[in-house]
Amino acid sequence: MEFEPVIGIEIHVELKTKSKMFSSAPCSFGEKPNSETTYYDLAFPGVMPVVNKEAVAYGIKVITALNMTLDKTLYFDRKNYFYPDLPKGYQITQQFRPIGKDGYVIIYVNGEEKRIGVEQAHLEEDTAKQIHLSDISLLNFNRCGTPLIEIVSLPQMHSGIEAMKYVEAIREIVTYLGVSDGKMENGSLRCDINISLREKGTEKLGTKCECKNLNTIQNIKAAVDYEIKRQTEILNNGGEVEQETRRYDEGLKKTVLMRKKTDAIDYKYFREPNIVPIDLDDGFIYDAIHSMNKLPNQYRKDLRRVGLGDYEIEELLKDREFVLFFVDCLTLGVKNPRTLWSILMVDILGYLNKNDLTISQSHLKKKDLVTLVDLLNDKKINSRQGKDILATMLEEGKSPESIIKEKGYVQVSDDDFINEIVGKVLEANAQSIADWKRGKDRALGYLVGQAMKLSQGKINPSLAKEKILNRIGPCGKQE
Amino acid sequence: MTKWNKHSISYLHDALVKKQVTPLELVEDCIKGIQADDCNSFEALAFEEARKAAEQIGEIKEDEYLKGIPFLAKDNYSTKGIETTASSNILNGYVPLFDATAISKLKRAGMIMVAKTTMDELAMGGTGTSGHKGPTLNPYDHERIVGGSSCGSASSTALGIAPLALGSDTGDSVRKPASYSATVGFKPTWGRISRFGLFPFAPSLDTIAYFTRNVLDASYVLTALAGKDSKDMSSSSRKKEHYQDYVINKRSLKKIGYFKAVNDAIEDERLKSKYHELLDKLKDHGYEVVCYEYPVDLLNALYPTYMIISCAESTSNNANLDGIRFGPIAEGNPKTYEEYMKACRTKGFSDLIKRRFVIGSFSLLSQNQFEMFSRAQKARRLIVDNMNKFFDGLDYLILPASYSKPKKIKELSTAWSTKPDFLDNILGLGNFGGFPSITLPLMFEDGLPFGINITGRTFEDGYVLGMAKEIEEITGLKDLVKGDK
Repeated sequence: MEFEPVIGIEIHVELKTKSKMFSSAPCSFGEKPNSETTYYDLAFPGVMPVVNKEAVAYGIKVITALNMTLDKTLYFDRKNYFYPDLPKGYQITQQFRPIGKDGYVIIYVNGEEKRIGVEQAHLEEDTAKQIHLSDISLLNFNRCGTPLIEIVSLPQMHSGIEAMKYVEAIREIVTYLGVSDGKMENGSLRCDINISLREKGTEKLGTKCECKNLNTIQNIKAAVDYEIKRQTEILNNGGEVEQETRRYDEGLKKTVLMRKKTDAIDYKYFREPNIVPIDLDDGFIYDAIHSMNKLPNQYRKDLRRVGLGDYEIEELLKDREFVLFFVDCLTLGVKNPRTLWSILMVDILGYLNKNDLTISQSHLKKKDLVTLVDLLNDKKINSRQGKDILATMLEEGKSPESIIKEKGYVQVSDDDFINEIVGKVLEANAQSIADWKRGKDRALGYLVGQAMKLSQGKINPSLAKEKILNRIGPCGKQE
Repeated sequence: MTKWNKHSISYLHDALVKKQVTPLELVEDCIKGIQADDCNSFEALAFEEARKAAEQIGEIKEDEYLKGIPFLAKDNYSTKGIETTASSNILNGYVPLFDATAISKLKRAGMIMVAKTTMDELAMGGTGTSGHKGPTLNPYDHERIVGGSSCGSASSTALGIAPLALGSDTGDSVRKPASYSATVGFKPTWGRISRFGLFPFAPSLDTIAYFTRNVLDASYVLTALAGKDSKDMSSSSRKKEHYQDYVINKRSLKKIGYFKAVNDAIEDERLKSKYHELLDKLKDHGYEVVCYEYPVDLLNALYPTYMIISCAESTSNNANLDGIRFGPIAEGNPKTYEEYMKACRTKGFSDLIKRRFVIGSFSLLSQNQFEMFSRAQKARRLIVDNMNKFFDGLDYLILPASYSKPKKIKELSTAWSTKPDFLDNILGLGNFGGFPSITLPLMFEDGLPFGINITGRTFEDGYVLGMAKEIEEITGLKDLVKGDK
């Protein structure tokens, strides 16, 4: 029997607001345990939640980016359960009226565009962190109360690669918006993936398993692929898939059982009585939407328009800082975007990685980079000179013009100068010319090299080569 | 008997301004009263803190009405550095790190907190007998309850220990004990005073409320307490007023309604005739008094609606009491977090509290929520809609605040009545709609007090106080202290 996998994904995104969702404690990562808390975070009797405006503004940005409908009145609800990482004994979330509903994300799978529906997005607060040692469990409340937005997809994905692309798209969006650092390895973006199989061609959904603990993008694909295989085998052997929560074990490269559905908790949801419904001000909504950063898919369109290929675009999009830098250079009128791309993504990226710098920490100025690329494009300098100039730009922050002046690089495409050099070289190397004419093609390279040496690297080697060829004729042809 | 604190805030203010007494002398006088308390009114004492605060008070100006005057607070107000238990064993030894907004506002107005008062455990109860320190007694008859849950605040105010005691009112927890103790019990509009730092019982109903011995004092206190608080999103940003102006100038509205069903159900003939005597006198004073037919089925719904909503909210609000971060640690040797929490909560809560938690949890379970919790919410909306209809034509609801003498402690039963009497729960109307509501003395019967209650439109707290002042003048019952001439 042939099966169709059906996948739905819930993503929790930690919002990097200055303070927590309902308290004034700062949001941070890696601070001393239990140093970033207030009375609220520890749930002392009598504390009350105060909604963080910044988190709401971030929420508005996310749901706008996900093409969702915004609920202009905010409601919050309590999700009740006992757990040591939940000091109040309930989490404040938006069970009944999420801030956003009915949106979608565009993903690209094997060059094809696909639209994945997003059912809803809601704001809530994170729990504390537990550390279990052999004889003791420790609680760190720093994370407790960090704002989260939970994004719930429709069950509209059907493969490991689609699931991975979906999560990647959400991660890109939240990082481009600047609302989250979206680091799966730190848990600032966490996914729960629901996977079920159904007979191909049928509508009814099969029994699903929920998969947790996916801390890299690659693990998503691996876990989903594994789970599809596991469930297919069960069904093919005449068995039934049980509703379970499973965990991806990176070492085993398998999903393993955490708990069966029968252990499910009744969360006894009800409206949070300490927060009266909040009517969002139109001006507040306007400001949130109009201060949104440009989204990756918008950049994709722009970059395709200037002639970059898919590979180049995707590489560039991996870091928003590079995209911004690139786009600014385009705005400054760079003549050849592909040359710009290769200098930025090969030479400059290599330099930054080697020196552990970000682009904004380096000396590099956009205007200078544009000048350099244009000089190369106009063949006014050769690529070797280009590399030299770039290295100095990166190290010292000087402009290409001043570096050219200092190093004495002249206008290399000056015909008379090149002719003079070529003349001198040919005069001094009669043996090489003879070799060339006898068919030794390596002689040409030698002659060009001599021309470069004589000109102290100033001339454009391809022009020099052209002129030498004009004078010495085709290889292996005796006169 | 205290020498000074048996007097009202305005009397003490006058004496302080005239330098007939110092804040420290008032504190010492209050301490004497506390030490002489024979009603089991107190939890933690803050004598040293109070003396220190009194010593730091300088000149008292004429417009500093509350400065230098002692007050008491129910033990469900978070008080920095003073043990606060809500009269529950689960919070024994808990010393808060912060003051409730109401406490800090009174402190900033110059008032001095001298002690915390007993209450029904976690404010759940109406008898004042369920706290971990045992029953609080009625000053007018030690065999009887003073009512709850703000029992210690009621008894200490009636005993003249301080002219102000903070309580909290979720169903009638200030206004009923006020009726039983011949004090003034005022529950302002929900949202008028910040609840930050009040241990929550049922936040959609919980209101900061308090006891004084006359209406003018109640108005001064509201002026000090009202206002938006950035720590409580449900606190209202409406402009606060000088509520004492309503009392001093006797500003009131003119249309008073009473419920026919309530009137018909009053069994105590002396109460009934006193009630009507008051209504007649109000007519003489130019008020229009109207008999109103509020739906009886909704009155009968008051009790179940209240129980479900308040228990549901309370089970969630008290889920933080798990013994992990504060409160007594678990005994035995629990192996898991479940065992740990269970051990703390089993030992920490009385059976009455557990019963409420079970009811609350049960009504929130997904298979019951629609039939219980959602229905209670709908009933609440109907109850409030009908009250708003009442207020479309009438300015005040006037009701007896209690309908029989306070019960004898030894006759109390913890069994749940299967046929609740709506008269016992009628003051809950004020909580369902968040209406301002005040109880003040109406009469004595065999030496035991009965109160009258006035409820008005939300945020018409001033007019409710103005009306109460009118009644206070009619009854002549003010500044009552048990045992004083």
